[in-house]
Amino acid sequence: MKTKIALIIYTVIGILGLMLLLSRENLYVALALVLGFLLLGYREIWSLIRYRRLPVIDERVRDNLTGAMRLTGVFFFIASIVLILLLHFDIFKGVPTSLIISGMLVVMGIMYVIGYNYYDRVKPNMGEKSLRFLKICLVTAGLSIGTIALAIALHNMMFAWFGIEDAVFFIIGLLGAPAILAISLLGSLAAYAGGLLASFSGSCRE
Amino acid sequence: MKTRMKEYRARLGITQEKLAETVGVRRETIIFLEKGKYNPSLKLAWNIARALGAGIEDIFKLDDE
Repeated sequence: MKTKIALIIYTVIGILGLMLLLSRENLYVALALVLGFLLLGYREIWSLIRYRRLPVIDERVRDNLTGAMRLTGVFFFIASIVLILLLHFDIFKGVPTSLIISGMLVVMGIMYVIGYNYYDRVKPNMGEKSLRFLKICLVTAGLSIGTIALAIALHNMMFAWFGIEDAVFFIIGLLGAPAILAISLLGSLAAYAGGLLASFSGSCRE
Repeated sequence: MKTRMKEYRARLGITQEKLAETVGVRRETIIFLEKGKYNPSLKLAWNIARALGAGIEDIFKLDDE
């Protein structure tokens, strides 16, 4: 019952947000919002059209929703800190702040859809090996992002403090770590897609 | 987790949809349970076992058992 009320509140907020975005002519964000709703709630929408009632929100669906919300929350927290830092150092010169925040919200929505699908379809169809591989890829991706920032900072510090044109941190920051990041992201994407495909091919109807 | 839900369901001639309705879950949840890809709560396992006229230990078994 609580989850149903939460979903209704979520829908009302979504519709209000959509109206606000449309009134401010942020059409692409409004479109992304509609697409997100369709992607996330296609089962609910189908059930409402066909049976004129919401499908049961059972413990498995509740677990998936909680998992996706947790994942999006963590992403929102990290993304907000990064965004505040980037805005503080005036990285987005000339770009309207509303556009940057809208962009982050769209990415957050995508993260929610990916997270929900991960808990709902991908994770149950992944073997232990694939799950371990996905975890390693995600941890490596996170570490390489940190390495990029650290290497650039160290490279600049070496120049500022000692006047040395350092090559090691430069290569790590601009070539090594981004290459590892790209490989680990591709690896995690492949593992995710594998789980998703397995869920489609293995679905049975009796 | 291994289950004998499919076997018991077939014996009673109940569809996944009917079982899902009886225990108050979605049909997909029954599919996931039958494939052993979802570990149910004790309450759900109890409800399923009761709906299938068996004990929990008859329906659900751990892989290493």
